[in-house]
Amino acid sequence: MNNILEAKDLCKTYSAGKDNELNILKNVNLGIKEGEFVSVMGPSGSGKSTLLYNISGMDRLTSGKVIFNENEISSYSEEELSNLRLNKMGFIFQHIHLLKNLNVMDNIILSAYVAKNIVRGEINQKAMELMKKTGIYELKDNDITQASGGQLQRVGICRALINDPDIVFGDEPTGALNSKAAGEIMEILNDINENGTTILLVTHGTKVAAKTERVIFMLDGNIVAEENLGKFKKENNDLKERESHLTNWLLKQGF
Amino acid sequence: MLLKILRKDFIRKKVITIALFIFIMLSALFVSSGSNIIMELMNSLNELFDKSQTPDFVQMHSGELDQNLIIKWSEENELVQEQQTVEMINVERGDFYLPNKKESEIDSVMDLDFVVQNEKFDYLLDLDSEIIEVSKGQIAIPVYYKQNSNINIGDIVKIETENKTLEFDVVAFVRDSQMNTSLVHSKRFVVNDEDYRVIKEIGYDVEYLIEFLLIDSSKIEEFTNKYQESNLPNKGINISQTMFLALNAISDGIIATVVILVSILLCIIAILCLRFTILSTIEEDYREIGVMKAIGIKKKDIRKIYMVKYIAMSLSASITGFILSLFVNKLFTSNIMVYMGSAPKTLLNFISPFVATLVISLIVVLFCRIILRKFNKISAVEALRSGDAGELKVSKKRFILNKNKQIDVNIFIGLKDVFQRSKMFSLLFLVFIISSFIIIVPINFYNTIHSPTFITYMGVGKSDIRIDIQQTDDIEDRYNNVIESIKKDKDVDKYAEYITCQYEMLDNDGAKENINIETGDFTIFPVSYLKGKAPEKENEIALSYLNSSEKEKEVGDKVILVINNQEKEMVVCGVYQDVTNGGLTAKSKIKTDKDSILNYVISLNVKDGIDVKNKVDEYSDEFSSLRVTDIDDYLSQTLENIVDQLKLITIAAVVIAFFVSILITSLFLKMLVAKDNSQIAIMKSLGLSLKDIRKQYITKALLVLDIGIIIGAVLSNTLGEKLVSGLMSFMGAAKIEFVINPLQAYVLCPIALMIVVSITTILSTLAIKKSSIIEMIVE
Repeated sequence: MNNILEAKDLCKTYSAGKDNELNILKNVNLGIKEGEFVSVMGPSGSGKSTLLYNISGMDRLTSGKVIFNENEISSYSEEELSNLRLNKMGFIFQHIHLLKNLNVMDNIILSAYVAKNIVRGEINQKAMELMKKTGIYELKDNDITQASGGQLQRVGICRALINDPDIVFGDEPTGALNSKAAGEIMEILNDINENGTTILLVTHGTKVAAKTERVIFMLDGNIVAEENLGKFKKENNDLKERESHLTNWLLKQGF
Repeated sequence: MLLKILRKDFIRKKVITIALFIFIMLSALFVSSGSNIIMELMNSLNELFDKSQTPDFVQMHSGELDQNLIIKWSEENELVQEQQTVEMINVERGDFYLPNKKESEIDSVMDLDFVVQNEKFDYLLDLDSEIIEVSKGQIAIPVYYKQNSNINIGDIVKIETENKTLEFDVVAFVRDSQMNTSLVHSKRFVVNDEDYRVIKEIGYDVEYLIEFLLIDSSKIEEFTNKYQESNLPNKGINISQTMFLALNAISDGIIATVVILVSILLCIIAILCLRFTILSTIEEDYREIGVMKAIGIKKKDIRKIYMVKYIAMSLSASITGFILSLFVNKLFTSNIMVYMGSAPKTLLNFISPFVATLVISLIVVLFCRIILRKFNKISAVEALRSGDAGELKVSKKRFILNKNKQIDVNIFIGLKDVFQRSKMFSLLFLVFIISSFIIIVPINFYNTIHSPTFITYMGVGKSDIRIDIQQTDDIEDRYNNVIESIKKDKDVDKYAEYITCQYEMLDNDGAKENINIETGDFTIFPVSYLKGKAPEKENEIALSYLNSSEKEKEVGDKVILVINNQEKEMVVCGVYQDVTNGGLTAKSKIKTDKDSILNYVISLNVKDGIDVKNKVDEYSDEFSSLRVTDIDDYLSQTLENIVDQLKLITIAAVVIAFFVSILITSLFLKMLVAKDNSQIAIMKSLGLSLKDIRKQYITKALLVLDIGIIIGAVLSNTLGEKLVSGLMSFMGAAKIEFVINPLQAYVLCPIALMIVVSITTILSTLAIKKSSIIEMIVE
């Protein structure tokens, strides 16, 4: 299968005062295949989130190239990147980041209303279907203050999916949730992936990563190892084995 | 410690602190300048009246005069200190040529009165406030012409008749305590005795000013009654020193009032900004305030930290404003300096504006204290728990995006935000109301005073041409000739004759006082009445607004006139507005008493297609000794001073309004963008472009602006009209109805404001580019 997303010699440097530069990403090379579900793991400060935001065009690279759907997006203008985020990418954040002045459903549909790919009636319909799928339909008219963390993360997922993105990026989407809620969110993400959407997420959790297809391990701004776990299927009942396999592998990497 | 806090706060809020400083400073500057104008006006007027030795009482008179009789009466009258009779030659306007002008002064409304310098008092002064002395061939011309016709020393003016041409070198400009202002239609030119005799030989009409200086000026009422009871000459109006004072002070008085009003508006804006700043500071520091409270710091002490900054700022801004005002005062008082001259400064000249500026800083500090009461409501626990002052407590159920079928998403989000955070947007909203108010009111007033219909505020109906026939021995013949001519003229559509007579009226205490009553048919060129209607019966009288308020007579009240020693009871049938003759006139249908006639006025309209200017020239040529004026010229020349000043105010108001709008919009939006940083970053992460987000902010600014403009326009035409009417009521027009140029007031100005606000919004929201979700995550 073709790479939907490719990073070539990705470098990201932050300036930390005079004559002091922090190299967060050091010549990172990475390829994500269409329909793949990939997780990035590594200790704090290893550059996981930085990789995610640079590869998704949310942040600007210091050097290197990012190719998305065969287009080099690292040279895109702000306007082109906005358009890309709007139509081809979805984002799920740890702290969800919903708009305070919109209710649950409005938060989900906003980007679709702006994109104008389909008429508003259809967008509403689609949003309601997504909410039903993720189990938050009853909350559709609620303020975001009237929902729990788990429910809000589902709102974030619906929002990420509303424009049928080619790829969904997740920055520790289960990081702030309890294990039950985290499990439920991963179930939803697996469903989405099964339907063909590529997913790349950053996580600290072995349980979460165990449910992804491929795990990338980062250390000091480099990808140092990766492990292909294969597609996770609930009916295989092999989660425990995947988890233990992954734990052992991570231990080997010094995690 | 406090200095450290102040410095840190200043660095953190540089823009808003500077803006606040500017507003308080401007407010202080204007209030200081306004009070300075008042002080200068009072001082200069006193100085002018002092040096001129302005008479306490002047009786104008045309016709025969027995000076011996006046001298005898004055000697016998214990109130009189000094008497003199001034003879004035009324040079025909068609014969007088100003320098650099091919046309004569035929279209001017001013009477050109040639005089010699007075001997005892009522001196005509030059620009150094020295008594003017001119040699043969020289002339001193009224300062009015210096200002309005750009005449310089050394220019030549001439009187040119069929047989004679007299040329005069302009050697000085006349400050005339009686006739300085354009509101007075007579102007005195000073020539040498010898030249005076030559001019007199030409045979122009002669008028007299019978002037009195009193031993005790406060007994003017008693003196006026005595004069009126005597059989001394009285074919003309009489004026007291108080009236001269009022006429001289009116246009600069209006400027002072407007400047002070602008200062009050700026002070209001400063207070609104202050409120916005303090509240957003509290919001930002909410958690810190909670911590301070939790560790036991007293409310009073926390408040002090914030108060110190505003006390320091308001005091320094006020003092800067005061110092700056010392430099700009010249600009505001230049008119006073030219017309009245400067007087030696007293301590009060500095103290009054300084006290006024201190009042501004006191008001600011007082409001700070009131706004900072909000501290009392902050609970330590709540502040620490939420860390959020909870600005978004308004229901979100009103504007639902998924229910919106038509409106563009970004416009919708913009609208929604304004209504949800209406309290926060109130600053911008009030500023836009004030801005449109201070643009529209002067423009409307300027258009009103410029409009031909303003004539109705001068106690005259709207007509094309006005012919004035002043009191002379042959006044009746002249009048009859004009009427004959008009009757024969096929170009004339309609005309009406009005005769002004001077009668006596008994006041509430039974004392007699003079009143000028115009008689004629008031239905041909009707005047609009504030109350009641035009006189229809012989016993009905309509009073001008100032007469009605001064004499405390309303419609239906009775007044007693004394005509030929016979008392005649009249009923007040109407009250109208009139800014002429000091605003003290009346209209009636009583039969005219030939001995009491002061002047005739003939108003006429020409038929459609007839050129008014040509007709004016035709009549001017035919009746060269009369004043024939196009009514528009009559208006513009009478109101020249006020219109000029108003033009200045209008330009200044528009500049201030735009400046304030730009400053506050940019300030407000910068703060808003900073406040909304996280929300903007989220929108950007979702793929909303900078264009999309800017559209939201422009929508917010324009929505607030549009509502502000609508309310501003409504207030301009209600409150603004009342404000202008209040100002003009001192002149005799208490109910001004604005003549609105809808294109200017409702299209051009709002569009200009919208363009300016949109550009400001775009520039102020450049910071949106910097908002990024990455920074939020890092934070």
